[in-house]
Formats: sequence, C-alpha cells, structure tokens
Amino acid sequence: MLFIAVLSASTLQAQEFTGDVANGKSLFNGQCAACHKLDKKVVGPALGDVTTRRSKEWLYAWIKDNQALRESGDADAIAIYEEYNGSIMPAFPGLSDDDINDILAYTIEGSKPKEVIVDPNGPVTTVVAENDNTVLLYILGGILIFLVLLLARVKNTLKQVQGEGVTTLAQDANIFTRTALKNPRIVTVLTLLVAVVFLQQLYLGLMVVNVDTNYQPSQPIKFSHELHAGTNQIDCNYCHSGARKSKHSNIPSANVCMNCHMYIQEGPKYGTEEIAKIYTAIGFDPESGTYIEDYEQKPIKWVRIHKLPDLAYFNHAQHVTAGNVECQTCHGPIQEMEEVYQYSPLTMGWCINCHRETKVDVKSNDYYKDMHAKLKGKYGPNAEITVEMIGGLECGKCHY
Amino acid sequence: MAENKKYWRGISELENPEMVKTLSEQEFPDQISNEEFLGNKENLDSTHTSRRDFLKYMGFSTAAATLAACESPVYESLPYVVAPEEIIPGIANYYSSSYYDGHDFASLLIKTREGRPIKVENNKEAGINASANTRVHGSVLNLYDATRLQRPAVNGQESNWSSLDKEIMAGLAKAEAEGKQVVVLTSTVLSPSQKKLINTFGAKYTNFKHVSQDPFSYSEKLDAWQEATGKRALPMYHFQNAKVIVSVGADFLGDWVGQSVSADYAKTRIPGKDMSRHFQIEAGMSLTGSNADKRYKLKTSEHGEFLAALYNELASAKGASTVSGVKSSMQNEAKAVAKELLNAGNAGLVICGGNNKDHELLCIAINDLLGNKEITVSHKIRTYLRQGDNKAFKALIADMNAGKVGVIITNNLNPAYVAAGIANIAEAFKKVPTTVAVTMKYDETAQISSLVAAENNYLESWGDFMAADGHYSLQQPTIKPLFDTRSFEDNLLKWSGLSADYHNYIKENWNSNILNGTQWSTVLHDGVYTATSSAPMMDAVVEGFGSSLNLDLAGIGARVSKEAKAIKGLEINFNQLTGMGVGTIANNPWLLEFPDPISRVSWDNYLTVAAADAVELGLRHWNESNGALNGNLANVTVNGVVLENVPVFIQPGQTIGTVGLAVGFGRVGAGAVADKVGVNAFPLMAGAHHAEVKVEAIAESKHEFACIQLAHTMMGRDIVKEVTLDTFLASPGKTEDFTGWNEPPRFETHKGALTSEDANLWDDFDHQTGHMWNMSIDLNLCNGCGACVIACHSENNVPVVGKEEMRKSRDMHWLRIDRYYSSDITTENAAANGYEGIGLFGKGATDMYADMEVPSQSPEVFFQPVMCQHCNHAPCETVCPVAATTHSAEGLNHMTYNRCIGTRYCANNCPYKVRRFNWFEYHNNTKNFGDNYAMNEDLGRMVLNPDVTVRSRGVMEKCSMCIQRIQLGKLEAKKDGKALKDGAVKTACQSACDTNAIVFGDVNNNQSEVFKLKKDQRMYHLLGEVGTQPSVFYQVKVKNTTA
Repeated sequence: MLFIAVLSASTLQAQEFTGDVANGKSLFNGQCAACHKLDKKVVGPALGDVTTRRSKEWLYAWIKDNQALRESGDADAIAIYEEYNGSIMPAFPGLSDDDINDILAYTIEGSKPKEVIVDPNGPVTTVVAENDNTVLLYILGGILIFLVLLLARVKNTLKQVQGEGVTTLAQDANIFTRTALKNPRIVTVLTLLVAVVFLQQLYLGLMVVNVDTNYQPSQPIKFSHELHAGTNQIDCNYCHSGARKSKHSNIPSANVCMNCHMYIQEGPKYGTEEIAKIYTAIGFDPESGTYIEDYEQKPIKWVRIHKLPDLAYFNHAQHVTAGNVECQTCHGPIQEMEEVYQYSPLTMGWCINCHRETKVDVKSNDYYKDMHAKLKGKYGPNAEITVEMIGGLECGKCHY
Repeated sequence: MAENKKYWRGISELENPEMVKTLSEQEFPDQISNEEFLGNKENLDSTHTSRRDFLKYMGFSTAAATLAACESPVYESLPYVVAPEEIIPGIANYYSSSYYDGHDFASLLIKTREGRPIKVENNKEAGINASANTRVHGSVLNLYDATRLQRPAVNGQESNWSSLDKEIMAGLAKAEAEGKQVVVLTSTVLSPSQKKLINTFGAKYTNFKHVSQDPFSYSEKLDAWQEATGKRALPMYHFQNAKVIVSVGADFLGDWVGQSVSADYAKTRIPGKDMSRHFQIEAGMSLTGSNADKRYKLKTSEHGEFLAALYNELASAKGASTVSGVKSSMQNEAKAVAKELLNAGNAGLVICGGNNKDHELLCIAINDLLGNKEITVSHKIRTYLRQGDNKAFKALIADMNAGKVGVIITNNLNPAYVAAGIANIAEAFKKVPTTVAVTMKYDETAQISSLVAAENNYLESWGDFMAADGHYSLQQPTIKPLFDTRSFEDNLLKWSGLSADYHNYIKENWNSNILNGTQWSTVLHDGVYTATSSAPMMDAVVEGFGSSLNLDLAGIGARVSKEAKAIKGLEINFNQLTGMGVGTIANNPWLLEFPDPISRVSWDNYLTVAAADAVELGLRHWNESNGALNGNLANVTVNGVVLENVPVFIQPGQTIGTVGLAVGFGRVGAGAVADKVGVNAFPLMAGAHHAEVKVEAIAESKHEFACIQLAHTMMGRDIVKEVTLDTFLASPGKTEDFTGWNEPPRFETHKGALTSEDANLWDDFDHQTGHMWNMSIDLNLCNGCGACVIACHSENNVPVVGKEEMRKSRDMHWLRIDRYYSSDITTENAAANGYEGIGLFGKGATDMYADMEVPSQSPEVFFQPVMCQHCNHAPCETVCPVAATTHSAEGLNHMTYNRCIGTRYCANNCPYKVRRFNWFEYHNNTKNFGDNYAMNEDLGRMVLNPDVTVRSRGVMEKCSMCIQRIQLGKLEAKKDGKALKDGAVKTACQSACDTNAIVFGDVNNNQSEVFKLKKDQRMYHLLGEVGTQPSVFYQVKVKNTTA
C-alpha cells in the first residue's frame, strides 16, 4: 500500500515537473549550487527530494521571493528559516515559472542513480566529413598503380613485338635514374630543390623554438575554466583580481577559492577529490566546516602556461583596464577550456601585429584628450588611432 | 762519444741518481700509463667501438642534446595560500619609516614589492629636513647582507636566545650582588621610547649608568652650548634664512652635526637678489668647500684665531668687548667677511667644525653679536642628533679598568672600532665580567664581547625618534626579521622582565605622552609628527642666554693662540667620505663603489696631500698605460701611533701644511666586502678632529687607485657654464643679437650664423603629438652629494664591478657626477701669461693646454651630474648596426638589451660617454663578482627591482630616464582616465635629490615646471656645439662672488 502510494506520488511528480532538464542543470549550477546540493545539506537543505516535500505553488513562491512568503505568515517558510539560523536565501524574481520547472525537473532527474541520467540534448556523435576524402584518395591511388602496371605491360608487349628484351619496372627505374643523374642540369635543379626545402624546413623549425602554442601541461588540480567561467559565468576578474590593477594577472590564492568552496564541497565531474586539494593546501576540515588551527599551509604548485621572457615587459592592467582588451583576445576561448592551453603564440610578431591593428579608444579616456587633438591634425580628423600611432611599436615600451 | 754523455737535471740527480729515477717513474703513480692501457690487446679487442662509431655516437648525441635543449623548461607558479590583503603582486607598497644608525638620521618612505623592501625614498612630509643621504639610500642593501649575525652567540659560540637571556640575567644579578655598575653604552639616543625603556631597565639596578658616545664626536661643541645656555644640545640651524653663511671648517653639506641642511641651503642658492653668499674657511677640500662662493684655505689649528679675529671685527663694530692678544694669519679676510656679515644683519650665520669648545663659544658669541637668534640659529628648537659625552665615556673606561663595572651592554656603537684612539677598549672590556654587544655584525666590539645579541635591521624593527624639539618620526618594520634576531628594545623589554612588545610600548608611550589627541594611525601613515607644544620627553627647554652671555674672552684668546702654535709640523684632519661616513653600514658594495664626489676615487680611503707638500715629502702620482691611477704609500704617525701603508692622494685645494684622512675604513668584522678595503684612521683620532702628524713616504711603494676621472679641468671648454651673480642680475642670458652670457654656439653657414638647432642635416622627429620628456639639472643647486647616484643604482639594478674593473674605467654607473677644478691658466688670460701662437720662441698653445690640465692651487670646484642626454639627434642611434638603440616619440633614447650584439659602436660615438658596456656577466658570477651580493647571492638578489631587466654580458646599457616609472605614471593616468599631471612621474635621481636640482617632466605640457625651466635664461645643452639636441639640459651655475 505504502509502496503504491510512493510510486504513484513519484509518477505524479514526474508528470507534474516536466521541464528541460539540461537547462535546469545549468540554472541549478549557476544559481543554486553555491548553497544547495541535491543529496547533501550544505548552506541550505538538500534539494534532491524537495518536490516530494513541498507543493509546486509553495516552491514557486519561495524561490521567487522567500521573504515575502515568510512575511505572509506561511508556517513552513518560517520554520525552514529558523531551522537554518535565519540565514537568508536571496530572492530570484528573474526566474520564470518555466525556469523553476526546469530546475525542479533537474532536482528529480539529477538525484536518480547515475546510469539512469540521460541527457537528451547531449552531444551527438556525427561522422566527420573529412573521412570521405581518405577513401577517395585510396581509390585514386589504386587507379594510378593500376595504370602504371598497365603501361608497363603495354611497353613490354611493344618491346616483344619489336623483338627486344623485356625489362622489369625496377630495371626501368634504375636506368632512368642513372641517365638523369648524369645530366648536370637535372642534378643542379634537384640539388637546389633539396636545399631550398631543407632551408625552409629549418627556418620554420627554428621559428617555433620556444613558441609554445597549445602548450597544455597537466595541473595539480583539475580545475575547469569551462565550468567556472563558462557554465557558472564567474567573472575572470573575481579570481584573477590583479589583471585590472597590476602587471600580473595573479593566479588566485587558495583563500579566494574558499569563498565558494567552503560550501561547494563537491564538483560535478571529480566529486570531492579535486576540491579536497584546496582544503589540503589551506587546512580546512570539510566535515566540521572549520579551518584547522596552526596548520602548515601547502602552496599549490600550478604549472605556468603563459610565460614571456624576462626581457619583455607586459602589463595586464595596461591591456585590460586602459586598453579594454578582452581576456579572450590573447587567452582564447578560456570559458570553453576544460583544461587551459596556450592559445596565442606570444611571439613578438604576434604582439606587434596586434599593436598595429588595434584601435585605441581615445575618445572616452581623458588621458588622450590633448593627444587626440594633435593626432587628428596629423592623421586626419576621422582617422582611427591605432596603438602604433601612439608609440606602441617603440622598443622601449616593452623592453627595459 | 755522444751516447755516453750524461746530463743531470739537478744537483740531486748527481748525488742520488737512484732516488731521482724512482721518483720520476712515479710522477703520475695513480694513473694507468698509456702503454699499459693501449698495450692490453684483450682490452682493445673486447671493445667494439671503432673510431667511426665513436664519431657517430658523438654526432648524434650532440644533435640530440641540441634538440632537447630547445624544449622549454617547466615553470611552476606558486600563489599565496592566503594572500595578504595589502599585497597585490606587481604593485609596489610604500611605508613611511625612519633611519637612524647612531650617526645618520633620515625620514623615509620604503618601497616594497611583494613584501620585500627594495628602495629608499625621501619622506617629503617631514617637518624638518631629514632627507636621505648617499649612505641612507644604499642602506636597503644591508638588509640582505648574508654576513649579518643570524642568531645570538654566547662566548663566541652560536647559541639561542634562552641561553643568552639566562647568561645576561645571571650577569646582571651578579653585578647587582657585588655592587658593580650596570652600563648601557650607546651612541646618541634619539628615541624617546628607547630612552624611557633604558631608564626603566636601569631603575632595577643601584649602580646603573647610560653613557652616550658619538662615533665622530662633537662632545666639546655640546659642552660649549651647555656653558652658554645651560642646555647640552645643539641649536637648529635655519640655513634657508641666511644671506651670508660663514663656515669655519664645518662641512655642513657632507658630515657635520647630523642635521640635514642641504635642502635649506639650496633654497638660498637660487640665483636672484636674495641669493646667499657662502664663505668657507677650511683645511682640506670638503663637499661644502667645493660649493662655496669663496673658499679660503686655512689650517684647522688656526681656525680659532680666525674666529677670534672675526669676533673682534664684529665686536669693535658693535662696541662689545674684544679678545685681546690674538692675531690671525688671515686678518684681512676676517675683515672682509665681517663686513659682509655686518651688511647682512641678522641674516648672517657663522658656524664652525671640529670638536673644540672655544671655537664653538666664539661662534655662539659671533651669532649673538649678529642678533640672528631664532632667524638662522634657533635656541628654542634644539637638535638632538649628537649628544655623546667624551668625559662620561672616559670616566666609564676608567671605571671599567678599575673593575667597577659588572655588565656593559653596547648598542648602535662599535666602541672597539670608533673609540680605538681614545682608549684601549679591548683591555677595558677584559675587566668586565659580562659584556653584551647588541649588534648586526660580528664586528670589532662583538669580537671582544662575551655575549652577542644579534640585532634586527632597521627595516625589520619598530622605532621612534625625536631629532629636534617637537619633531617626531616613526620607524616601522617593512619585513619580518630574516634571521633569528631581536631588536635592542625587545631585548631591553625582555631583560627588564616586561612582557610588552616594543610596537605596543611605543604606541602607548606616544598616545599618552606625545600625540596629544592625534590618531596613532595618522602618524604611522605620515611617518612624522610635529608637536605644537614643546617637547615633553627631553630635558626642559632653556630659552637661550638672553643678554647674559659671559665669556672668558681672555682665556679663549690665550687658548686659541696656543692651539695655533702647538702644531709645528704637518697637521692631519680627520674627515668622512660621502659614501662611507663612519662606516656603520660599511659592508655595502654600492657605497664602496661610489666614487667620492671630490677625489672620484672608489674602493679606498687615502691621505689627501697638497701638491706642494707631496713634492717635499717625495710622494707622487702616476698613471698606467690604461689610464689607471697609482700613488705612493706613506706611514702616518700621530701621537706615537703609527698607521702603515696609507695610500697618498694628491688633492687640489688642500691647504699646504695639512693632510686629510677619512675614517670608516679598514674594518675587521664588518663583512667580507668591507673588511679588505682601506686603512683604519680611528686609532689616530683621539677626540679632536685634527692633530699633529708625521708623514713618511715609503720609497718605491705603489698603491693602485680606482679613480674614474682622469681629467681634472675643463681645458677651457664650456662644459659647466658659469656666470657671476652681478652679470646674471645685470644682463640677459640670451638676446636677439647673441650678446648674452648664455648664448648657444653658432655656425657660419650660407644663410648666416645659425645655432646647431637650425643648422642640421637630419630630419626631425615628431615630438609634438604625445609627451616629450625633458630633464633640467640646475648646476647651482647640485652640491655633488651623490644621493642620486646610489638611488639610480638601486632603482635600475646597476651592477657593481669591483676595484680592478673600476681601474679600467669600466664603471657601470648610469649617472655620474663629474667634478672639475678651475685652472690658473684660461684661454682668456693665456696671452697675459706669455703663451703666444704655436710657441716657436717660448710658451705656445700646446704649453697652454698642458698647463690648463693642472688644477689651480686654490681651485673653484664644479659638479655636473651626467647621465644619458637622450639626444634627439642621437649619434649612438645612427651607428648601431642592429637598431638596438632607437628613438622614441617621447624624446627618449631607448636601449633594447635583447637586440644588442655588443659592437660598442654606440659608446664610441657618444660624445657624453654615458653608455656602459657589460664586459662580464656581473650577476650569478660569484667567482669574479661575488663582492656584489646584490646580484650574486639568493638573499642579496631580493633587493633587485623586478621591473628592470638585469643585463647580461656583452650588451650595452645606459640611463633609461627611469622608463619603468614613466610607463607606470602613464598607466596610472590612463587607468584613472585623467590627463597626466606634472610631477606624477619622478625619476629615481630626481626624487633622491633634496635640493630639487633635478626636475623632470613633459615639455609639451606648458604648465609643467620643466617647460618653464627650458625657457629659462640659464638653460643650456651640454656640448651644444655638437648639435645632438639633448632632452637633458642644464642651468648655468651662478656664483655669488665679489668682483
């Protein structure tokens, strides 16, 4: 009887909260995950079974503006508020009923055993179009070989007709090579060709020495920019706070991680394993939720990816704050990188090229006021001012 | 028969051929002989490596290694675990602090990067001028000196604090039980809190004494002030109010009574109607003497007579009683000076040097006659920078020798070094059961002390100071102690049984006694505090003597006459070199390599001798083929104490009959770099700053000097332009018809006479659009002190090359201060002196130029700071084959180190000789340049400026006009979205210059100071005739000389 009741209840809910689970997941991770988990009480209660505990209307009201709900005298709302020592959950007036439906649908789907999870909008494997070419090439190659063999046969038949001795393909090649090598013109052309190809390859090879595009070392913590900057939309400057102010865009210290990870103790991919590494570094006990006293802190040894040589001076603030350059301009689609790699070559040619092409926003910054007036006189009233025009190609701007 | 002939290789072979044979066979006994190795057929057969194979393997492995080397190394990047709130990596923090080492005092800002102090700047908020001198600018390097004491020591063995504390407490208890004295021996205590703490510490002991002794004592001066005013403190001198300055032997711009007066002095040196006239009467050539309008040479022993004569002149004019029976050798000069002083009225100032009570009393009397009280000499505000008492110190030594002292604690003073001439300190220390040295170094005193308490550096500790009445300053730590050290005050707190730490102790003391309601945090931020009411911490203020100055004129007269006659032979004057002072922070390669402003000698101290005396004594100078200077050595005897092998330097302007010798060198235990440099003059110096001396030349002796300026005079060229004040006031410098006193050089062309600016072949750069950085250097305000040189050193990671390289003129200073002497022969007076034509029948042009090389006996001295002039038609840029040095639109001459291939064409083509070539790798080269721990030790490297590249071997470098500061200033303005303000960017040399001689800015901003200076009548370009159009320009020197 009880079993039937539960079963019927759950089927009822499954029908009731039909929403987009994928959207629900991303909304949950973005908006709720800082304080809630599905299976565990963190700052707020576990939400895996919230739909069994609360009515749909109550949930809508609570999520949109829990304070109003409490003020209306709702007993459940007041009880939960008191249970969590009066910590206030922010209001989410921006979430539509559909959004909430999606989230609630995710709370049901997400708390089912893992193998059951099916992502309907997950990536679909499609056959890559390039593969077709390979097949065609094989066929073409086959035809060519067949033609060569055919011609050899024709040649030998003709020779037999003329009464000459038959030669194999290898012998023909041998004779051809000997004749060709005795011809000084051919030898000269060949030598030149080989030399040019060799030098070109050497040049290309040397040009990429110490150019580490796509350098993707493995890091001590499997930190995903895709999750943090992409899915969760955390501003780059929240962690890399130096980028706006200083020459260094610093790697965040562990205490910055702890701002969120004091509560978010489990990640979607690696569970607690990777987040625990932060706790080891800083000395935090996730069970009791407190810092361990007199803990010998262990700095995290990240592997540096972007490194300019010491002879080049680069200042993040100059580019990010003064120049309004997006992080992605140099670091690539960082919000899509599960693991960070070096996107740009970071060569001097690359820097210079950008300085040639990038326009300076001289109008909105008063620093350029006088300079802009004079630049208009020099380059014409409507000229776009590039970094080059304000001295951005001078050696001493980066080398001192 | 030839085969039978036998040759012996030595007499031993003849005598014992068997032994020689055995020995020769065993010459390389441990190695297998070639025959044995190659002769073993089995061995050879078993190896399958043929010569060809070997070459193949070699080739492949070399290629593989080369390829592998292309792989970039993996760099780790470790962020903070918990980032300190105030640190943003890459951004400098500044903390206000103070410096006091028992000798020098300064109010500072300490620049730190990622928690490391890297630079010392002046704190311009300071109410009194306490700007950093050369030494204080270098002091940041001493923090990272690995030869500092790293932990306490007990009886010569490294120990820990608990055993040291136990030993000291036992020693103190024993002394108290036996009724012996407990003594704290320091240099002048400037700190109100420290003074209070010493008294608290001493209150527990019945026989407690605190004795102060200055390293370079002015004890008798203080006695004179006590006698005259009842208060043993020197007055504060207000040079900015002085119209006529008469200094009798006082080197107030170099080393005098501690008050930093150069900024005040500079205020009166701005050319105009109010410009002061400065007379200097001195024996040796001092920094102050070099800046004087009129310098008279006089033996120090006759200074008393001169002061008496000056007093008499003034007294007879004012109708006061005179000193009878005194006759100065410079009676006429005294008369002339007195006339000037009388004209100046109460804006006159007379000061004296030396450590002589009578001289100081005469000065007090003269200033009283001038009526300049509170105008140029303040009795209300006294300075406390020198409080040492020679009498108390001598009494202490007597007590120690008599076994009356149970415990002696020394701090901020190295008596075994600085007082070696006053008493035998080592003997006296042996008689004291417990001797405690609180010191940073295992120095001369620490070596004879049973307990050594390793002390913090000033950048690691709290402190407070009252340099003058009502003028307070704070010292705050900017880094945690690097070693297991404790500050003196924390020691005292511990030994007094108090649990407070010194930070809270100061805070409490200030809040209850000094601040009078002002917030502690405000004062800590400013670093300085000026009390409105008079100082409560020091002795009661005595309002001077009013009209009741009663001098024993007859006694003084008799004593000064006697003093002048006492020295019959040569007289020695003890002084300090600008870079070394009394040697408190001697182990500093920057300061040791700093060329003295006068002699331009680095890595040495030396006996300065007048040219005429040198001939008489048989001493000479000569140059090696590469220009390096050599000199003789001499033995110097004062009062029976002999100092052997003293290098002799022939100094123009040295008074005949006198020699000079600087203290602060010849150390034992100051650190590896300082210990081998120079000779120790302190044992010769007993209280007085001069004495009779015997100098004996050592025949055939040779000393190698590192003197980097070989030309003494300007040879008739307008390198330093000079004009008299009268001319300056009467006529314009630049006129339409080119008749002014500061006309640019012109060239005859087909268009008529043109200046180099108008007559040139080059295309001009566009310097109108953005900034145009220019620098003005006022030769009137520059006194040659060299603070800028050391500031540049520390800002720009300039390497230290050592004495041997300096001798080869391979100094790396980006900024040098050239010093020129005037010569008796000038092109103007050549004809009058009999130089005619090419000199077929007598003296001609070649003779004239040869004689012009010789500086005058009483030369005028000129200082000229020279750095890269950032020419807008730069000769260096056109000759660089790889375009490593290029021009910027902002008027700077860029130097790109990574592009430079070291042809040195640029240096050869530079008319100003400001380019410096890295002949060696000066960093990470411990073998050859280990002395420069700033670049060769992990600890020392912490001082490097992370914004400036450390240059490698084989590249050229030079002044960049502190481009890192320019870029930072521009960036800050861009970040704020505001126009760049004038003065927002200051070069390191500019901010170190407390006289404002160096002004830097954008001349395209017509509100800027440098724009006005460029339009000034006095503006000229160095070597203007070359047509390089430099961005650096100079202001003509104006001398206030009477015709």
